[in-house]
Amino acid sequence: MGEILENSKISSRQAVFLMVTMIFATVILSVPAITVKHARQDAWISVGLATVAGLLIARLVTTLGLRFPERTLFEYPAEILGRWPGKLVGFFYIIWFLHINAGVIREYGEFLVTAFRPAPPLIVFNLMAVAIAAYTVRNGLEVFTRANEIFFPLTMGLIVITSIFASGETDIQRLLPVADVDAVSIFKGAMVPLAWFGEIVTIALVIPYLNRPRESHRAAVTSVLISGVVFMLVVANAIGIFGPDLIEAMVFPGLNKYRIVNLANFLGRFEALAMTAWVTAGFVKISIFYWATLLGVSQVLELKDYRSLVLPVGGVLMAMSMLDHPSALHLQHFEAQVFPFFALTFEAAIPLLLLITALVRGKGERLG
Amino acid sequence: MTRKAVSLLLILLTLVCLSGCWSRREMSELAIVMGAGVDRTPENRIRLTLQLARPAAFGGGAETGGAGAAERQNITWVVSETGDTIFEAERNLALKISRRIYWAHNIILVFGAEAAKSGVGNYVDFFMRDPMSRENIWVLVTRGEAKELLESHSELEKTSAQSIGFVERNKAGLAVIFKDFAMALASRGSNPALPAVELQKLGEPQGSGMEEEKQHEEVVMTGTGVFKDEYLVGWLDTSETRGLLWLRGEINKGIITVPSPGRPDKLLSINVARARTRVEPEYDGENIGFNITITIDGELLEQQSGEDLTIPEKVEEIEAAAAMDVIRKCTATLEKAQGEYGVDIFNFGEAFHRKYKRDWKELKYQWNDAFAGAQINIYAEAHLRRTGLLTRPATVKK
Amino acid sequence: MRKLIRPVRAKLLAAKKNTGGASEASAEKTKDNTDRDKTSSFLSEDLSSNLARIKEIFQNCSDIIYRQFLFAQREDIRLVLIYADGLADKLQVSEQIMRALSLEVPMAAPEADITKAGAYHLIKERGLCVHQIKETDRLEDVIEAVLSGDTVLLVEGHPFAFINGMRGWEARPVSESENEMVVRGPRESFVETLRTNTALLRRKTRSSDLKLEMMQLGRITKTDVAVVYLKGIANDKLVEEVKSRLQGIELDSVLESGYVEEMIQDNTWSPFPQMNHTEKPDRLAARLLEGRVGIMVDGTPIVLTVPTVFIEFMHSAEDYYERFQIGTVVRIIRFLSMFLSLVMPSFYIAIITFHQEMLPTALLLSLAAQREAVPFPAFVETLLMELTFEILREAGIRLPRQVGQAVSIVGALIVGEAAVRAGLVAPATVIVVAFTGISSFVYFYSASFAIRLLRFPMIVLSATLGLYGLISVLIIIVVHLCALRSFGTPYLSPVAPVSLGDMKDLVVRAPWWAMFTRPRLIGWKNLKRQEPDQKPVPPETRTGEKGGGGDTGKQ
Repeated sequence: MGEILENSKISSRQAVFLMVTMIFATVILSVPAITVKHARQDAWISVGLATVAGLLIARLVTTLGLRFPERTLFEYPAEILGRWPGKLVGFFYIIWFLHINAGVIREYGEFLVTAFRPAPPLIVFNLMAVAIAAYTVRNGLEVFTRANEIFFPLTMGLIVITSIFASGETDIQRLLPVADVDAVSIFKGAMVPLAWFGEIVTIALVIPYLNRPRESHRAAVTSVLISGVVFMLVVANAIGIFGPDLIEAMVFPGLNKYRIVNLANFLGRFEALAMTAWVTAGFVKISIFYWATLLGVSQVLELKDYRSLVLPVGGVLMAMSMLDHPSALHLQHFEAQVFPFFALTFEAAIPLLLLITALVRGKGERLG
Repeated sequence: MTRKAVSLLLILLTLVCLSGCWSRREMSELAIVMGAGVDRTPENRIRLTLQLARPAAFGGGAETGGAGAAERQNITWVVSETGDTIFEAERNLALKISRRIYWAHNIILVFGAEAAKSGVGNYVDFFMRDPMSRENIWVLVTRGEAKELLESHSELEKTSAQSIGFVERNKAGLAVIFKDFAMALASRGSNPALPAVELQKLGEPQGSGMEEEKQHEEVVMTGTGVFKDEYLVGWLDTSETRGLLWLRGEINKGIITVPSPGRPDKLLSINVARARTRVEPEYDGENIGFNITITIDGELLEQQSGEDLTIPEKVEEIEAAAAMDVIRKCTATLEKAQGEYGVDIFNFGEAFHRKYKRDWKELKYQWNDAFAGAQINIYAEAHLRRTGLLTRPATVKK
Repeated sequence: MRKLIRPVRAKLLAAKKNTGGASEASAEKTKDNTDRDKTSSFLSEDLSSNLARIKEIFQNCSDIIYRQFLFAQREDIRLVLIYADGLADKLQVSEQIMRALSLEVPMAAPEADITKAGAYHLIKERGLCVHQIKETDRLEDVIEAVLSGDTVLLVEGHPFAFINGMRGWEARPVSESENEMVVRGPRESFVETLRTNTALLRRKTRSSDLKLEMMQLGRITKTDVAVVYLKGIANDKLVEEVKSRLQGIELDSVLESGYVEEMIQDNTWSPFPQMNHTEKPDRLAARLLEGRVGIMVDGTPIVLTVPTVFIEFMHSAEDYYERFQIGTVVRIIRFLSMFLSLVMPSFYIAIITFHQEMLPTALLLSLAAQREAVPFPAFVETLLMELTFEILREAGIRLPRQVGQAVSIVGALIVGEAAVRAGLVAPATVIVVAFTGISSFVYFYSASFAIRLLRFPMIVLSATLGLYGLISVLIIIVVHLCALRSFGTPYLSPVAPVSLGDMKDLVVRAPWWAMFTRPRLIGWKNLKRQEPDQKPVPPETRTGEKGGGGDTGKQ
């Protein structure tokens, strides 16, 4: 049924939902603590800066992507740089997606183990996450995009509503004085959220599947903007509740604020509900990166179908999630110190070099 | 494809089932902590006291027998154990208790006076780090031992922990949740103040078979414990606590009693409907000053004198008297805090930080000293908005 | 990239048949041919030899009746009536055929016209008082006609047979629908006879666009199946797809529409029904008007409709007949009960064995008090109660009605009250299980099977991993639902993919004047249902020129 086939592509709105869920899933957990450590009560300014920088990355990636609207980030380096160097870049991206996904899965497991002690061993959570994601990516991008269309309002709604419930404890004065720390600290604080917003680079894989690729500019920018603004509110809300001193000591400030909710002296302790929202969003994020890896492998190796790769890649992800970081402490250190540079290389530097090369060599279309 | 998905699901299911139920906590395997207390033993160890609920005694419904004839059961069980850290003490307790200690429903955390004087810094970390314990438990300090306090029971509520928790929740007096306590400890611009509780004989249990209960003592709030950093340095009485609340802007409920304008021997009571406190720091490089403005909206709820108070002049007089009363209480509290203890328990440092963020960088390390020398001006403004159901006493002969 | 549309299964089957299974198919064909050779032959002029052949075929079929009589009392023109006893209308056979041919024709026609050679035409043109006559010269047509309930008339000396449409068997009369109850709305429901059903449908939709395409399914049962749709509204490709899938069926019997459903649904392994069904003509008409296609099967009152989306199961006929506000509220309740009947027991287990912190303290203490005496873990207890409930429910459906009452009393009394009193089960568990059970009755019955089934893995996972297990199962279910398609339409539309225009008939039931478009993914071919701007306006506020005609029509 041809008419339905057209519908089967991804709409811009679906793409926005997907990207926002992807960025938001992990950013609200541990990033506030890292940002607050540098920028204290000005963390929200850092987030704002990161959002602006994220918008630039979004613009960069979509400009690059739209020069090759039929191809993904794994394919066009070959056109820009030539076959083998291009494949090498694609290969690096595969490694990158594997690594950050392993980190996401690990954080997913660590969060559940830490927050709900006593808990099953970490490997159970990781295994469940990878298994469900494997089932999902087998069904293809379109299916989990649609599933996300259902999850997105629920997770976002849950996060926003629980935040509103928690806001009874908020004291807006804790955000004052503005600009208490120097500009360098604020910029430092912006680095880590920027690394997360930069994950918008994934949209370079989705552009060929959009039913209107031209709108990818707007989709990418909207995604970063929504994530940025909501994250800024979340950070401001957390500071308003706990003050910068407590937040920088916390592992998951995003979780703590749900623990103090008290409604009508009766209902409270919403962290289990917040956990469900987070688990859902985290699952979508894992699926996206999982899918990205599979797509990368199949495109770099020029396979027709990635479905035979699902289980092997899942196994690799599983192993990496367990072995990449020896402990939660290591993971936190990695996220705060190493991840921004590791991430931004692939999110901004390589796309920028690719774009410049493409412009110089005159490759690709000029769609704007 | 679907067949594989189904088999994957089955494998997953088997895996989950085979690995057993790790973190399952059946309700009948829980020792539910209602209140916790921390004391310091003479040997300088930590003594952790827990008030545990005995669920069997909480049974509602038909099985537990008729309403009136219900036998008075031991509803809580209070246990203590010592250790070098809180967690060690908890583990030592766990060795002796048949059930798993369950912190998530803990309502209060009480520090014994000795423990508080020696510094609470050693005791608070566990309660923030352990995922089961909550940030919104009520924190108290007792003039005696926390153990004794927890060993009491309540006549009205099921447990004394609930009783004191509900008193705090009403926010009639100072009410501090753990999160605020931790923030005050972490901030250089304020010091913690905790509500002080002790056991008092309160009321007489009525009815037959209650004779041995005559000595019953309830937990009641009797003021405030003042901390300098993590150390308990002194106490405020109930009236000074009111001053503290006015200065902190935490008055939610309360009354002001002033003499009647025409008849100084007769009194009026004004219910505080709404109160606002604004703190305005001033700093000229040497002298620190604070202008405190308190605005009160009140409602006349009791009048002993027979005069008609609905005349504007008299209302103004009452308002002025009420404002004076508030200022007097605040001044008394301030004197004690500045003079006797030399600690800022009013979060004035935070207010100073907000306005003079550059100067704060130098001042914050000796803020308490700076605060002790600060010039503080209090302005109060009261408004009588309503007079209850009467305009003048109805029972007075004209 | 994965293929975005499911391959058409029937086409695949056909392809397979053409290539891989060629030998098998041809073998089948030859077998068919030999079968046919026995029966496929033409009638001869000799009546007795025809009769002998038919009798041979119907050997040992005691319900076939052969009635021989004379045309116009002429010994030389013998006639034979063949029909199945009970399927043909005996009174009509005797009156309109036998009486007419043997007694009345001679009165009407001149004696001279009645010749052996002219008899056939005379019978055809003047003799038979039957509303529908078909002629055939083939033996298998005769056999089939007899089996379908028609009456066959053979004439001496002519190699043709008349097939008289005089079906009239004992059938259940059109009665009130028992499975889809409404307070307001038509009561009638389909019956077991296809022709009656098509008549009921035709009465609802007096349009020449209502097409009923017949086919026969079942090698032995030869069941009539009708594909019904509204031409110009239903997507032609969809109609073709339905027909081609139906033609791909090679079962020996089709006794209920469930046979058809399982042969043509998109995903066999899914517990969710991918075809909706109804037994009410008004529902069928409404769905056809949305652009769906119906599949009517003779012998059952249940009519299938495709494509089906999940939310249909949350809708009921009455939503559209009652005021729209109440329709909306009731739908919210149905969605809620669907969700509750799925997650309630799992949520209960997750909360009381993993996340006790979520309970208010007072509730925790009273639940803890209840559980003190219970010897089972909450998981085992809930599972036992759920099983008991399912057994009771099944007993309630299968037992004769008079006993059903007793079962429910025993069930409620013994299982509920006594188990609690004996301290075997906590009262809270009984409440949860009972509530879950009641919730599952609120929405469409066939959808509740899937929910009932999925409840159990969910309970198991919640008991091992708490809310995390619960949410994991929910995620899998949602992903599965998103992957499902019913005849090309995403199963979860219009929720995912979102189709904002269809939100007017999802949870909210908009007033009829606002529902001026059909569901977009199903009725896109002819999207406009009616003119927009038909909101009724009281005369005094009416502006005059615009929409005046529509409004007066409305009032």
